[in-house]
Amino acid sequence: MTRARTLALFLPLLLVGCTGKKNTPPSVSADSVRANDSAVAAPAAVPVERVLSYEERQGSVLYMKYCAVCHGKEGKGDGFNAFNLDPRPRDFSDSAYMAALSDAQILQTISGGGRSVNKSPLMPSYGGTIDNRQARYVAAYVRAFSTGQ
Amino acid sequence: MKPLRLTFAIVAVLFLVVLAVSPLKDYLREWKHDQTEYNRLVAGLPQRVKQVDIGIRQVWVRKLDRVDRCVTCHLGVKEPALHAAPEPFTTHPQVYHDVDDLGCTFCHEGQGSATEYRESIGKVKYWDRPILPRAYLEASCAKCHREKDVPQAPILNLGRKLIRESNCVGCHKLEGGEKQWIPSLDGIGEKVNRTWLVNWLKHPRTYAPSTRMPNFLLTDEEAGTLADFLLSFKTFPEEAALEPEPSQLTSAGADQKSKLVELGATRFREARCISCHPINGKGGYVAPELGKIASKVSAQWLYNYIKRPKRLQPGVVMPRYRFKEEDLVGVVAYMESEFVDYDVEQLPPHTPDPGFYEKGRALFKKYSCGGCHALSGMGRAEETGPELTKIGAKRLYEIDFGRSGIEQTLPVYLKTKLLTPHVFGESMKMPQFGFREDEAEAIAVALLGKTDDNIPPDLIVPDAPSGTFAPQGDFGKLVDDLACLGCHVMNGRGRLVATDLSLEASQARRAWIEGYFKVPYSLRPVLTERMPKLYLSDAEIKTLVDYMEMAFISDSLDHTVSTDPAAAAIGRGLYYERYGCQSCHQVGAKGGYVGPPLDKAGTRLTAGWIFHWLKNPQRLKPGTIEPNNNLSDAEADALTAYLLTLK
Repeated sequence: MTRARTLALFLPLLLVGCTGKKNTPPSVSADSVRANDSAVAAPAAVPVERVLSYEERQGSVLYMKYCAVCHGKEGKGDGFNAFNLDPRPRDFSDSAYMAALSDAQILQTISGGGRSVNKSPLMPSYGGTIDNRQARYVAAYVRAFSTGQ
Repeated sequence: MKPLRLTFAIVAVLFLVVLAVSPLKDYLREWKHDQTEYNRLVAGLPQRVKQVDIGIRQVWVRKLDRVDRCVTCHLGVKEPALHAAPEPFTTHPQVYHDVDDLGCTFCHEGQGSATEYRESIGKVKYWDRPILPRAYLEASCAKCHREKDVPQAPILNLGRKLIRESNCVGCHKLEGGEKQWIPSLDGIGEKVNRTWLVNWLKHPRTYAPSTRMPNFLLTDEEAGTLADFLLSFKTFPEEAALEPEPSQLTSAGADQKSKLVELGATRFREARCISCHPINGKGGYVAPELGKIASKVSAQWLYNYIKRPKRLQPGVVMPRYRFKEEDLVGVVAYMESEFVDYDVEQLPPHTPDPGFYEKGRALFKKYSCGGCHALSGMGRAEETGPELTKIGAKRLYEIDFGRSGIEQTLPVYLKTKLLTPHVFGESMKMPQFGFREDEAEAIAVALLGKTDDNIPPDLIVPDAPSGTFAPQGDFGKLVDDLACLGCHVMNGRGRLVATDLSLEASQARRAWIEGYFKVPYSLRPVLTERMPKLYLSDAEIKTLVDYMEMAFISDSLDHTVSTDPAAAAIGRGLYYERYGCQSCHQVGAKGGYVGPPLDKAGTRLTAGWIFHWLKNPQRLKPGTIEPNNNLSDAEADALTAYLLTLK
């Protein structure tokens, strides 16, 4: 009897010890942090709803500088210079085509130019102008035109 | 005896339980759970990723005196295979800095020694440096990067640019924002009319949407008094006197006048005033809006100003056009007839109150107008606002959030203060700048970077010292008179709106430069800023080009190529077939127009420039988008030979 009473006394204590820690899954109190994230100003008008990743945002700056003149600000292959080119620049929002393209192929085209992948030499090579890291940023952003919905 | 035994039993059990709670608590630690999750996650991956031993992990950055335990849970930061893994295991984005090198909290802030989510990332009472929201993260780049253009930090760069352009240093002590040139107010009484000035003081952006003048939210009475005060200043700097208005402007018949206006319209177009000045929002961005200028300034002032801009406004970057008298009168007549604000309602005639001068002077001081504008007799108001050199380290308890009701964090406070300064109290003197939301955020980013962290000197990336180039003699006088440095850079000084001229004589041929001064044309059809026609005399052109050939030249860019047609033919092949140069450059009206047309490359450019440009364009013009194709010398020679045949 005594033993039962003492046990009953300590059970709640034990429970408190167990539950105190469990309720902090990372995503719960992250709301305040994430709420500010959505305020990140994407420098470009990409038709995506989601927030761009760090790589994509870095890529967007480079893309606007080097690529948008031909490939267009929205990646549709309709930059102001596109109409002087034959074949026309690639439309990056073509998700069927882009899905079949590996990251390595995109990177190769950026750094080696169209001629390095047996495509039009009108796409210049930027391997000597931007470094590998920057090329990967651009590649990530180029992907965002077709993947973000 | 029995109660004692019972007590003993209870104490014994209690002791046991307490002993058990401690290891249990330890066993149930959040990070242990995360590490177990991580090991389970990587075990399921197709790639081989090493599992971790359960235990606290930390990065010790000795040079910054920081210990960050974030990696206890953020286990995948250096593991590329986990780029799609959920937080907290995902790969860190690729930045130039390594987590072992700088740690975590140096950039992200937050409590590095904590091992629990709430304590490290959440809001912790009395922890002054909470985690930086991602939108403001670039603030941390500013701790070390003092250069103007920080690679990979576009928001910070924008913020710093806005701080410079808005002339924050007029009122605040702040490093890295050199004082901008702002018009002096001496002689304003002879320049503008009262209606314009009152409206301007109340709503600057109604007149000029792109102006940097902020809105001080003055009352009608304040604006009127301040206007009366300012209009009493009728003497120009160094007591320059206005020449009388030419008789054609005042007494011409209707027929004569329309001819004059027509002539003026032609000259206005030729001189390309809109390269720098916007007209109703369209055109350049370098100079003030002209769309309603006739309703602002008097015709007499306009005539005198265009004739000799620096006499009335020392330091202004407006070039002195070499107009003939008749042309000048025409331009003024044209502007007077064309750029009128028909919507403005003229204020009734007004006699200033007796005490207007003293009251106006007090307002001028109260709103710190002298922080930006010079006005003789008022002295220079220096730094009347709070010092901002360490604003990023401001503690929350030091901030008066008033009744604003905003989220109580430093980034949000700064952003709100920039957008709507008056929500923190009616009596705030900070004017409203009319920033967009993203602009306010960018400025907040630049300000947040001004912390009191002790940065080791070897980590600091300093800003390039600004050039001190000050040409002397006749060339120097011309450069000053034509305000060349308002758009061009020479040896590190000037504003890069147009090209850097520091190597001009190595780049372009003498005959071409001379011709360009006479009839400037736009090398790149897509550019909006175009070289104005300054109507220079032959002697002036000779002075300019002679100096360039002496000073803006480098022997290291000399190069000769063979004039063999065979080499040119190879070059032609490279141009069209291999490197696809026609995608950006036009030859014979075919090709793109990203770069300049190359039709007359042979008459415009030197062999040495073409060769060295092709070898490494960014060496000659940092930031150009012309790709470096890593050409061999032979290829560059052949291409140069080809381009020189285009005449």
